[in-house]
Amino acid sequence: MALKIAKVLWAALALSLLTTLAIACQAEEEKATPAARTPVAAQTPVTKEPVKVGFMYDATGATQLIGPPYKAGFEDAIKLINKKGGVEGHPIEVIFCEHGYEVPKGVECYERMKAEGVVIINTYGTPITQALVERCVADKIVCNHPGYGIAAAANGEKFPYNFPTAASYWSQGGAAVQFVLEQWQKAGKPGKPKIAYLYYDNPAGREPLDVLRAIAQREGLEIREFAVPAPGVEMSAQVTDIVQRFKADWVITHLFGRSPSVSIKAFKDAGFPLDRVISLVWGSADADVIAAGGWSVAEGYYGLQFTAIGTDHPVLNEIRQMYRAEGQSPPKVMEESNVYYMRGVAQAFLWAEAIRQALGLAGEPVTGEKMKRGMENIKGDIAGLVRLELSPRDHEGGGYLQVWQAKGGKWVLAKDWFRGYRDIVESLVYK
Amino acid sequence: MINRECGVFKTTYQADMALYTVPLARITVWAFLAFFVFVLPFVVDTQRLVWANLVGIHLIAALGLNILVGLCGQISVGHAAFMAVGGYTAAIMSSRADMPFWIGLVAGGVFASVYGLLVGLPSVRIKGFYLAFATLAAQFITEWTITHVKWIGGGFQSSIIVPRPSLGPLTIDTEREKYFLILALVIVAVVAALNIARSRLGRAFVAIRDRDVAAELIGVDIARYKLLAFMISSFYAGVAGALWVYYLGNANIEAFRIVESIAFLAMIIIGGLGSVLGTIYGTAFVVLLPFILEEILQTFKGVIPVSDIHSFVAHLRFAVYGGLIVLFLMVEPEGLNRLWRNVKDYFRVWPFPY
Amino acid sequence: MDFFLSLLVKGLILGAIYGLVALGFVIIYKATSVINFAVGELLMFAAFLAVAMTAIYGLPLAAGIGITLALMVLFGFVLERGVLRPMIGRPVVGMIMATLGLGIFLRGFVSITWGVQTRNMDLLLPTKPLQLGSISVGAVDLAGVGIALFLAAAFAYLFQRSRVGIALRAVADDQQAAMAMGIRVSTVFAVSWALAGLTAVAGGLIWGAKIGVDQYLALLGLKVFPAAILGGLDSLAGAVIGGLVVGVTENLAAGYLDPHVGGGLKDFVPFVLMLVVLMVRPYGLFGREIIERV
Repeated sequence: MALKIAKVLWAALALSLLTTLAIACQAEEEKATPAARTPVAAQTPVTKEPVKVGFMYDATGATQLIGPPYKAGFEDAIKLINKKGGVEGHPIEVIFCEHGYEVPKGVECYERMKAEGVVIINTYGTPITQALVERCVADKIVCNHPGYGIAAAANGEKFPYNFPTAASYWSQGGAAVQFVLEQWQKAGKPGKPKIAYLYYDNPAGREPLDVLRAIAQREGLEIREFAVPAPGVEMSAQVTDIVQRFKADWVITHLFGRSPSVSIKAFKDAGFPLDRVISLVWGSADADVIAAGGWSVAEGYYGLQFTAIGTDHPVLNEIRQMYRAEGQSPPKVMEESNVYYMRGVAQAFLWAEAIRQALGLAGEPVTGEKMKRGMENIKGDIAGLVRLELSPRDHEGGGYLQVWQAKGGKWVLAKDWFRGYRDIVESLVYK
Repeated sequence: MINRECGVFKTTYQADMALYTVPLARITVWAFLAFFVFVLPFVVDTQRLVWANLVGIHLIAALGLNILVGLCGQISVGHAAFMAVGGYTAAIMSSRADMPFWIGLVAGGVFASVYGLLVGLPSVRIKGFYLAFATLAAQFITEWTITHVKWIGGGFQSSIIVPRPSLGPLTIDTEREKYFLILALVIVAVVAALNIARSRLGRAFVAIRDRDVAAELIGVDIARYKLLAFMISSFYAGVAGALWVYYLGNANIEAFRIVESIAFLAMIIIGGLGSVLGTIYGTAFVVLLPFILEEILQTFKGVIPVSDIHSFVAHLRFAVYGGLIVLFLMVEPEGLNRLWRNVKDYFRVWPFPY
Repeated sequence: MDFFLSLLVKGLILGAIYGLVALGFVIIYKATSVINFAVGELLMFAAFLAVAMTAIYGLPLAAGIGITLALMVLFGFVLERGVLRPMIGRPVVGMIMATLGLGIFLRGFVSITWGVQTRNMDLLLPTKPLQLGSISVGAVDLAGVGIALFLAAAFAYLFQRSRVGIALRAVADDQQAAMAMGIRVSTVFAVSWALAGLTAVAGGLIWGAKIGVDQYLALLGLKVFPAAILGGLDSLAGAVIGGLVVGVTENLAAGYLDPHVGGGLKDFVPFVLMLVVLMVRPYGLFGREIIERV
């Protein structure tokens, strides 16, 4: 018995030593951002009720590369908004919850946030969004999922409390093909380009297939599909097929996690010009370029974005000022993972705008129902970050996208807000 | 002092074969039952009810795995695949064929059972870790099939939306109603598992686990019983999967990945292989660990010098989870059940040392 | 024909690098009868150590690799002594679970210590791919093949000719008899885990350079099982050959069958293959048949 106790104590000591070692040896890139639960004291005295919101994210699961910078951007933007007096004097109070891309934890996060009285939740992750659809409607909490979730949720009448608020994969597919055709014409090439669609073999990766096939039929295009099974770190067969056998003219990629960077490297190695590759929104981040070997390797690579990006964006300058005013240096993730960071920033500003609209339409106190109406009232450009045209019918916001290109060590805007084959997309949404 | 078995006499065979023969044990079990039925759901908030529901659903599946691995000794690393089969069956039944909820539930179990029979076929020829690999292969093949065969998976999303379960006029909507449904099924599952362990079937399983060659010699048809073990355990998993789908309102493959299979193994091993009570402990432990850890670390937020407390907690949760599995296996291979038994034995003879 | 050749060559190269990982798995099994489900995580851990030495602490590549090797060997010792020694004699499930738990722990540990951002592993190799006719092969891939073949040959020699190797084989054959012959079983176990650490470093360096160093490296561990089973769990040559077969089959299936099935066969086919092998010939192509004695 005593030996057993000794063993337990020994093992526990070893484990705790290891953990302390891990904490102590933490990479120095992590900057201290105060844990967010309470709002930062606003410069203007706040006398009004805080508006509670919930933000889920994944830091340990399949999308662990996206979650932390995304959350950091959101957090910093909320701080900035609160510092400027909140929304009409109301500070925004955020409840964060990490769920590791697992549905049970996501459901638990939702219930926890609901208990706190949130009016809007970022239901990060496609399976989690789907699992929570019913609850969002029953509890009348706005569930916002830009860039993931169900494309069909653009239909505001069928999914009253789900707001994709970003071009869905259907819209992205349509926009990508439109861009490819435009580029083909601009280059003066005759006929139609042969397009290869390289996608991650999971539900999200397969979602654009319906749109692509419909467009192919209408335009008489040849769009061949190439699936990359998870984890997507090896795709030499598919790339060889695309380059040598199918001999594609253009490639549209829809990959996640590590696979975008692997695809860039693979195309480069196969000698396929990267300026004829365009990626949907989750393969067009800085991390993908860097993991592929750097900007020189990825030169020419096109990427769709549903949020404006760029390290010199005016909002980022304001955030930098905010940090310096507090005597801290701005977080490196702002530059290193700019794309995901900006998506978080954009979402924060979107929510602030929705709250403002809600207050204007229906007054205090802000509830989930009012948030829904507020969101549906948003039309136009928000803080120079996104372009949305929401309505009770359209919870997607019109499906607007930008195209950015990797050029000379950074992302350069190649095409401003546009959308492609909206009629085909809408025929699917409102089926 | 607490002399459990003293003075307990049985006068009929029926009384002797009861599940709990010792009055103290019987009272305790009834008390817990009463607590879970009458007290817990009304005292606790929705978030904790979610915890209870999650534990309940996972418990049903874990009980099945316990029968297969703990009682019969057949290693299966693909339990989540059976849940997936049950879940998608129920989803297809309810969304496409408009079948009521209880048919979906039973159908889920039956189909998963048949699938379990198929997956279990290798067990007749191979055993040990070779069987583990075979079941691992089955797990991946199942995942692939569901995501690629449109008829099963429901399209590119591999997600089927399912209507609310209803028993007659009552629609099960709120967390509390779900709790009662799940509790009812858990009770049935636990009682069935306890009885299987005590029956002829259970004895055959244990014989196969301990010395299969010897079992065959004394007349136990090991092929038949191994397959039966697979079928029963998959039935449990199928029902759990169907319940999971009804609980969430949609069937999605992400809930049935290899991570879940490993989690179920962890549940029964940490709890104690082969014992039902151990499985209950293990399931509660594994399912609730992340939530409790999160709550603990939230209160110590200011003390730990980390930048992003949420991400840190999330990673720490992984490290603790893995570390605890290893720790348990090193220190107490028979799991939480053994710890509980030690406590019970201690009090059985207290204040004497033995 | 070009296409087929391309797939074949790429498949062979890929397979050799899979074989590299499978070697680590097989060595452990051969010497200690332990099934190590945490192969991928050990690889990932080794890769992270290497990156930490070179990128974070700024050591030159050779020194960094040397220190990583030393650390991994040490880790192997500690692992064997602390975690797996108590597992001897316990049911197989326990052993599987222990390595699975270790894998999970390593993932969490790595994320806490070094964060989740992918890091680049620079092996100072030329970046321009080598052209073999119409097929282009990266320098990293070639290095991987070279190391895989070298290690396979080196280990084969070790096991056949050297004293240590013979001791390893003796212990794998019959522990009791080996002990009776005066072979220290604990030393043998430690050595085999050290060798596994070595292969983990090799695999981690190559795969890290190929796809970047982050948690995804651990997923490679899954590919190992079909390769090891196919080749035979206790055959070193089998590990590499099994890897080659898996690599080629994967590629050919992806190239030729994918368009008909809607994709995704790359992961599917190796496991179907593994299942078939398990049913027909569980000991693999080169494994030793275990006859159970009552």
